Amino acid sequence: MDAPMRFFDPHIHMTSRTTDDYEAMAAAGIRAIVEPAFWLGQPRTTIGSFVDYYASLVGWERFRASQFGVAHLCAIGLNSKEANNESLAKEVLEVLPRYAFKEGVVAIGEIGYDEITAAEERAYEWQLEFARENDMVVMVHSPHRDKKRGIIRSIEVAANVGVPMEKLVIDHNTEETVEDTLNAGAWAAFTIYPNTKMGSQRMVELVKKYGPERIIVDSSADWGVSDALSVPRTAKLMLEQGVDAEAVTKVTWQNALDAYAQSGQIDVEALLAKPVIDQSKLFSDNSVLRGQEPRVDAAMPN
Amino acid sequence: MTAHDCLSAWIAARLAGDERVSTWREERRAEIAAGVDDTRFAGLVSLASRFIPRAALAPTDAELEEAEVALAGWNPERWDLLEAARVELILDHARAAGAGFEAALEGAFRYADDGELRALYKSLALLPGGEQFAWQAKEGCRTNIVPVFESIACDNPYPFRHFDDVAWKQLCIKAIFIDAPLWRVWGLDRRLSPDMARMALDLVDERRSAGRDVQHELWLCLGEHGGERGLESLERELAGDRILGRRAAALALARAGRTERLQALVETEGEPTVAQAMRDALEGHHDQGAFRALDPRN
Repeated sequence: MDAPMRFFDPHIHMTSRTTDDYEAMAAAGIRAIVEPAFWLGQPRTTIGSFVDYYASLVGWERFRASQFGVAHLCAIGLNSKEANNESLAKEVLEVLPRYAFKEGVVAIGEIGYDEITAAEERAYEWQLEFARENDMVVMVHSPHRDKKRGIIRSIEVAANVGVPMEKLVIDHNTEETVEDTLNAGAWAAFTIYPNTKMGSQRMVELVKKYGPERIIVDSSADWGVSDALSVPRTAKLMLEQGVDAEAVTKVTWQNALDAYAQSGQIDVEALLAKPVIDQSKLFSDNSVLRGQEPRVDAAMPN
Repeated sequence: MTAHDCLSAWIAARLAGDERVSTWREERRAEIAAGVDDTRFAGLVSLASRFIPRAALAPTDAELEEAEVALAGWNPERWDLLEAARVELILDHARAAGAGFEAALEGAFRYADDGELRALYKSLALLPGGEQFAWQAKEGCRTNIVPVFESIACDNPYPFRHFDDVAWKQLCIKAIFIDAPLWRVWGLDRRLSPDMARMALDLVDERRSAGRDVQHELWLCLGEHGGERGLESLERELAGDRILGRRAAALALARAGRTERLQALVETEGEPTVAQAMRDALEGHHDQGAFRALDPRN
């Protein structure tokens, strides 16, 4: 890249990532992220696990990110897999409103379907209703199996509940689903993830074919084999292969910002300002920085 | 005026130009006065962020004086308006809810984000019967989220008044570890002890063994309790080449009552800021507030 860029990764699970990732992300120009609530690789067994998880998304993880100059936003929701444990799901939905209006919560998410069961649909509809009543953005996870049908159904159910399409982000799209999502008027997000979901090269072709409007690139990096630098890497490839800089900026920064700033929870002015990290203020023996030289006033690449 | 009255007057004055926000505040206060359940109370503390700006409270000198009169040690100098408004709601609910307040406050803590935690911890010293929340206040010192730690530890009379010795010493030494400003721990100079001095000197030795600089605020912990070991340690710092550490060590010598030694040192001191610290200390400016000038945040 000729000029340093700034990036917004609107789907990444930092709870599962190390400080090396935060450092690398900040150095690559990632200024802001959205961490949607999801499952932890194995099912939780008690409501307390959900409470502590949501609390970490609006507490510790946000603080951890701030030490690297990354603005941490999040989405709160009950994921589709765990919606199938119906008695626990009921308790989770009772506690969810306690977290939905915290500072920096930009959406309800990630919610939607996994196996497309009746229990998943009940939890999905309940959360869509909640989002509509409170004028919130919704981030939808689309299923791995039966994806196309799952996405079409996600959109239909959201529309029936009355969620405005400009407040609906459908994630994990592919070449096979992008037209359904775009034609509905929703935001089409793409997860750049090795082996499953979407690769960088395919993403370049998609942006060339469909243009940058309402298309969002994210990493969804988590505890699996995934890459916290997917967004900047894909931007680099797009520029190398002739996608114009304005379109790259849209799909790796502006569109996600526009979608989630509808929440009123993003201080856009602060994000646009050049971030300066003063880790000497945050040096902490038991915290994330252990004994390395503080990078006082080291500005992020713009 | 009570602390509660002070807050209400300050907030009303600052929101006067904004009808939407003022109305929200007045309606929510009336709602709390009429009685709300625990969930609604926590929800209102949370919702405040959607209405009240996180702008600096920026109290005037007169307001800071009012605060000190209302409650010795309460220093809202660094509060923001959102925190102030949240604390007001908490105090409103304490007045309205009576015996039910304890459970309501515990619920609010349980579901709080870090911004709410800062307000909740700042409210504790102002609550009637606030000493019953000492366990919760100690939890606040167990966090590694520095702004949350500071909300209970700094500019707040609560720990001095209500922490037992173990919690008090842990707070002070932990402030050093997480680089929270120890000089802003209210009452520090009045609760120094031989054991705190020993903990500080052990940490000094640990740092030096590891080849690390000694955090200058560690010297605040000695007072008159450092003994010979403390004096030797201070001499070593003064003989070193770190200006901040030498300035702090000069103050610490005065705090230990070693003015003669300080007098001898100032005559040969060539580094102007260290010499100035020595002169200030000899004039009696060596209480914890004197460390403000050494705080890189200022």
